[in-house]
Amino acid sequence: MTELGPVVLVVEDEPQMRKFLRASLGSHGFRLVEAGSVHEAIQLATSHNPELVLLDLTLPDGDGIGLTRTLREWTAVPIIVISARGREEDKVEALDAGADDYLTKPFGVRELHARIRVALRHAARTGGGTNESLLEIDDLAIDLARREVRVAGKEVHLTPIEYKILVLLARHAGKVLTHRAILKEVWGAQQTHQAHHVRVHVAELRKKIEADPARPRLLVTEPGVGYRLRDRQE
Amino acid sequence: MTARIDRHAESSARGYVWSVAMVAATTVVALGVRAYFGLPDVEMLFLFTVMVAATRYGRGPSLMTAALSVASYDFFFVRPFLTFVVEDVRYTLTFAMMFGIGWVTSTLTTRLRREQAEADEAVLRAKTEELRSSLLSAVSHDLRTPLAAITGAATTLRDDEGLSPATRLELLETVCDEAERLERLLANLLDMTRLQAGRVTLKRDWIPLVEVVGGALGRVEQRLAPERVTMSIPDDLPFVPIDPVLMEQLFVNLFENAAKYTPPGSNVEVRATRTDDRVVVEVADRGTGIPAGDEERVFERFTRGSHVGVPGVGLGLPIARAIARAHDGDLTVAPRPGGGACFRLVIPLAADGPAPDRGAEPS
Repeated sequence: MTELGPVVLVVEDEPQMRKFLRASLGSHGFRLVEAGSVHEAIQLATSHNPELVLLDLTLPDGDGIGLTRTLREWTAVPIIVISARGREEDKVEALDAGADDYLTKPFGVRELHARIRVALRHAARTGGGTNESLLEIDDLAIDLARREVRVAGKEVHLTPIEYKILVLLARHAGKVLTHRAILKEVWGAQQTHQAHHVRVHVAELRKKIEADPARPRLLVTEPGVGYRLRDRQE
Repeated sequence: MTARIDRHAESSARGYVWSVAMVAATTVVALGVRAYFGLPDVEMLFLFTVMVAATRYGRGPSLMTAALSVASYDFFFVRPFLTFVVEDVRYTLTFAMMFGIGWVTSTLTTRLRREQAEADEAVLRAKTEELRSSLLSAVSHDLRTPLAAITGAATTLRDDEGLSPATRLELLETVCDEAERLERLLANLLDMTRLQAGRVTLKRDWIPLVEVVGGALGRVEQRLAPERVTMSIPDDLPFVPIDPVLMEQLFVNLFENAAKYTPPGSNVEVRATRTDDRVVVEVADRGTGIPAGDEERVFERFTRGSHVGVPGVGLGLPIARAIARAHDGDLTVAPRPGGGACFRLVIPLAADGPAPDRGAEPS
């Protein structure tokens, strides 16, 4: 690997976890900056300008969710939460606070690297000004200019809402979007409590883009959290 | 708390009413038999009434029964009749005896009742303790087994230098698999504890059933190959008012159960139907089935099929049932015609359950 791998800020107070992350990320060419507290994390985030943040939620001097909000005030750096808190409301809270992804401990290193790849790729895409007019994931192709959606080359007809949801998920491919985030983007800021609206349209959408809507391969459910469009390289 | 006081006051008021009624009845009976029996027998009759009141209604009503009995006895049976005047000092002793018996009997009864209640509570405590210790021993055994494998594999990798690459890989796989098993066990234990303690608040929403079943299948596909599962969920099945996370867990547990106790490659069928006010989901397999008479036992904690070498603690089905019941539904199992087991989940649809609207099309 080159010496100039991406800088990853690891915010984690557990020494054993840090050891594991150092070994695993280091061997893949990442340069690690380690913080053991919210205070340190803010300092290092300003001084090192990391390209990715791995964030534990339970820190000795504060909460990772608060830190996420603070970071989001001035940076769009991808934040992946790594936490032993596995409840759905914790995930939703972290994602709605601005985290890009959420991994519950314990997790395997393959999963971690997959999520890191997705986050970095997504950051590169939005950072470089998204001029892509064609989004492609597996068999799915969305032509943004013509508002056309094809599955395995065959055109499918979507309602305006279905199209909006699909484009939103495709733009964030690989990332979980909470019900609230989808509602806000598709329906507007006032309607963020009617999660079943999203479910109705996702169910319809699946019938059109999935080979077997009962066993979705592409548009997967994160129960109690939201939906995710599988990234092509997952 | 308020409810308990109210109930107490109510039962005590009923005791007073019954006391009055019993004294009135005794008086009538005593007047009837007065001609044939002696005065001591009438005394006995009143005493008996006081005792009955004391055993049944406690101190207050028993003392009132004693007082009323004295009054009635004095009024109707002691000269001069139909007055409360007492000529003979002897009768004051009778009155004192009636009060005394009322007091002593009611005290004894109250004490007995209290002791009984304490004994019941002690039995309950002992049972809870027994359950807790059986839970602890089952859990510690099942926690130690994967831990032992992990420790064994990890120390071998650390200390043994002459291992072939294949062996090393195998040991590493053991560490990963057993860690995963530990994690599942812990998750199950946590779920069970939360469900048992009644601390779970359902986050219900209108959910398409197929989403939950599909999600569960996705989670178990390592253990239950997707092609083994046949699904028939009608397209027009209404959305169900469920907690999607818990309900998905229920199906994961049912599918894992099927994966463990059925022959590899055998079919598992998921069928959903709607009757007026509920949705019924059946998960039917072609395994060995549940032995007759064990249909309830499989839902008890730490009960396991008699299969040697199948990992697990016996929490999956109890958790699944607890989830069903938390939804005011139920989960039962019956033999499947032609062999195997058929789990049946009933989810009530709320009476006012509308087909959820789709949300206004944004402009």
